[in-house]
Amino acid sequence: MAADFKNDLIAMLPRLRRFARSLTRSVTDADDLVQESCLRALSRSDQWDPAQPLDRWMFRIVRNTWISEVRKRSVRIGQGLVPADETHELTSSETGEDAALEKDLLQQIMDLPEELSALLLAVSVEGYSYAEAAALFDIPLGTVMSRIHRARKLLSLRMSETTGADT
Amino acid sequence: MSWQPEELSAYLDGELPPERAREIESALERNPELQAELESLMAVDAAAGRAFAAMLEEPVPASLAATVRNAAPGRPGNDPGPPVVRRWIAAACTALALLAGGVGGHLLTTDKGALQVAAGSGWLEDIADYHRVYSTQVRHLVEVPADEAEHIQTWLTATVGAEIVIPDLADLGLSFEGARLLVAAGEPVAQLVFTDAQGRVVALCAIQSDAPRDGFGRQQIDDFELVSWGGDAANFVVVGDAGRQDLQKIAEAAAQRT
Repeated sequence: MAADFKNDLIAMLPRLRRFARSLTRSVTDADDLVQESCLRALSRSDQWDPAQPLDRWMFRIVRNTWISEVRKRSVRIGQGLVPADETHELTSSETGEDAALEKDLLQQIMDLPEELSALLLAVSVEGYSYAEAAALFDIPLGTVMSRIHRARKLLSLRMSETTGADT
Repeated sequence: MSWQPEELSAYLDGELPPERAREIESALERNPELQAELESLMAVDAAAGRAFAAMLEEPVPASLAATVRNAAPGRPGNDPGPPVVRRWIAAACTALALLAGGVGGHLLTTDKGALQVAAGSGWLEDIADYHRVYSTQVRHLVEVPADEAEHIQTWLTATVGAEIVIPDLADLGLSFEGARLLVAAGEPVAQLVFTDAQGRVVALCAIQSDAPRDGFGRQQIDDFELVSWGGDAANFVVVGDAGRQDLQKIAEAAAQRT
């Protein structure tokens, strides 16, 4: 059981890293987050109900671990998440000269306001229903619907701007 | 009819009640602007899907996989039995001693019960981790593709410090896909990658050794079986899924042809 559980976790690492990166928007932070989440999962593997998909359970742990880390950081630096509903522009995760560089779509996704990229990943790629995404991100179902639409609209706008700039 | 903009996303995601979905479909048929809006959302999903899919092909740091593998699992009921982790570390360390040559070279036998712990960092553990990560890759299975076979042999021979020859294993159902340079336990390792008709990956790895081992040894690390032997100034190991029955045969063929 323990070996199988670990093997399943290791096989899942690419997807966990992707989800973690959509939350942290940093490769280094994402790997730290995945590691911490896996250690948490292993320490409480007896709490996992094999009747439920392990990946969903792990995504929940990754997201909860991230939120607790964000709270710690916000205490340290005196700021927290910018609510996605209050943000209407892409924010940049890069600084200085990098910000001036042309960004590819993945970077644009990562530049979406807090958690919109993770929500887009969960719904569009990982196949979460709105109800499941609402549970994962602790937001109302209606908010899932408005945020997923906002994510798509922001990216659509940026894609058309990029296409326009290229021609 | 009127609609909220986000209902179009909800329609795309199959989240609208059937009646409302039919109303949207009806509006889409009559309204080219709305249709274009839906198509732009679909284009975003398609592009985002490709970008997210590409992320899965990024190599997972071996240290991350190793941390998960080495972590002590929660042990409900404080089961005092020997941790699984220690058993495979023992196997990996023993294999290391074998593959690196020297005094540990005689510790391993093919009797699974006779595995003993030897000193050293588990490079075989690294090989198993690499195999776990890379064997799931499709587009990026190898670093240098098979059509550069001559370059692979020159490059890996120079880098590893032992002659690397790509064996023809077609008669065993294996086709050569290409190669990677790995680093295991701080030493360069040549990894020649083969696939069988089912797409399962078998890798032949080689590391330079001044005292190559005698004979063949077999061991299992988690889901993988490893068959090792010594050659000219190098130790070799073939790694593949534990379930397959032909690894010994593959190893013996590779030993003759390298």
